[in-house]
Amino acid sequence: MSRRSDSRSASCHLKWREGFLFGACGIGIIAVIFCSGESLLYAQEQSAAVISHEVKEIFERAGKAVVKIHGLDQHSPICGTGFFIDPTGTLYTAYTVGGEADNFTVEFAGQKYPARQLVADIRSGTAMLKIDAATPVLPIGKSEELEVATPVVAVGFPLDLAQTPNFGMIAGFDHKYLGRYFSTTHLRVNLPTQRGEAGAPLLNMKGEVVGILVSSLENNSSCYAVPIEAAEKIRRDFVRFGEARHGWVGINVTEAPQPVEGSRAEMAQIMDGTPAAYSGIKRGDILLSVGQKKVTQPEDVLDASFFITAGDIVPITVMRGNKKLTFEVQADLHPASKNLPVLPDGTQLPAAAAADGNHAIPLKLDSEAQRTP
Amino acid sequence: MDEFNDNEISKLLRLKRYEQPPPGYFENFLHEFHRRQRDELLRQPLWRICLDRAHEFKFRFPVRSLASYPAAVAAVLVCGAIISLKIYQQPETTQVALQSPPALSTPTDAQWTLASPGATRTFRMQPLHRFDASTQTHWATTPPRYVLDSVPVSYEPTFRF
Repeated sequence: MSRRSDSRSASCHLKWREGFLFGACGIGIIAVIFCSGESLLYAQEQSAAVISHEVKEIFERAGKAVVKIHGLDQHSPICGTGFFIDPTGTLYTAYTVGGEADNFTVEFAGQKYPARQLVADIRSGTAMLKIDAATPVLPIGKSEELEVATPVVAVGFPLDLAQTPNFGMIAGFDHKYLGRYFSTTHLRVNLPTQRGEAGAPLLNMKGEVVGILVSSLENNSSCYAVPIEAAEKIRRDFVRFGEARHGWVGINVTEAPQPVEGSRAEMAQIMDGTPAAYSGIKRGDILLSVGQKKVTQPEDVLDASFFITAGDIVPITVMRGNKKLTFEVQADLHPASKNLPVLPDGTQLPAAAAADGNHAIPLKLDSEAQRTP
Repeated sequence: MDEFNDNEISKLLRLKRYEQPPPGYFENFLHEFHRRQRDELLRQPLWRICLDRAHEFKFRFPVRSLASYPAAVAAVLVCGAIISLKIYQQPETTQVALQSPPALSTPTDAQWTLASPGATRTFRMQPLHRFDASTQTHWATTPPRYVLDSVPVSYEPTFRF
């Protein structure tokens, strides 16, 4: 009997040991799964908390310089958004808000201030207004540093609601939309927008302005923003001349059948009476660069030429046969410029002079010619 | 075999006939056998024992009866995931570091230190539209249009510059 009980106890001992091993393994597996899930959730929670904190910080900082703009256009009162860019009350907004309306008022720090239009530029889609008050300022960033999927924040006034932050990311850099070419590259942003947010600042995660919201896309889940450099170009023109002065040299570009030196931009037409006609540039030359901007396809001309200011010297490099030639051309006023220049005797040029796109407008600049960078 | 003749072999067989195992040998035989078997078994490494047991376990039961095991494991995993989600869904507000309120920055670019561009220069201001008072009174009751177009206004018809 004792031997039987001994053998039974030994076999029980073995089974217990075996069960213990299996149990320990099972608990270990569950613990590993639990810990990995825990660490993943913890990381997600941390990331969300960091993003939320950063957006909140940007919103609190930038919100003080973002204002609601009221105006009156031909049809009805309008409402949009704008933001201060200097401490004397100058603000940027979208052309659709500050371009074709009047009787502006700006809601700032709980008060309403009358505002006046300084400049409005339909080519960039931006406008500058001014109130007479000391104001906070948003720092200006560089849209050139943006890449696809770079996170961005917009602060605006949707409908009749309070100031609202929007968080999204850069979705693309577009030359055209629905078959229409832009005057300069626009930032396509996957960021939800509402009516009333035209003119809102697009900010990078450092809180610097990198663009101005100008339109939404199909279902308001995305929007277009003008790069801040385009608005800054208009501001530079305004400081120099009191208005936007887009330049041009009078060249039509088309796509070449074969790339030459990496460029497919071929001079299709040199317009009579334009700076290009007197520069020596010929039809059939392949355009390589305008200023410092390299050109590889006809679309590149839009960005390269947008930043030319009338009166500035523009170095244009072309390929003619096997020769690389550089011409220095003084740009004239772009025919599409909305504000016509005033002649020295005080009279304004006839609209017909600008309407004929194939002729440059004779220009009298009161500022010394500069070299396009 | 040559060393032993038939007589010697028959002597040995006679001796063997009277040979007896020690007392209790047969009673202890089974116990001793099991003990030695256990000793042999326990001399193997642990992983080997587990593997053998697992093999034995696998062949002892039909596969059909084991079909419920993956389901049981999956149920355990799902339960673990749900528990972990419930535990970590609670926000940990204390983990967000408090910072001093950021100060507004001023423009750093010396090129743009505009004292007051609108005040120091006389610009050609072109009011685009004139509104009379009656129209404004009418518009005061009109709800405002909140601006955000569906297409950017910027437009370039051709590649000219």
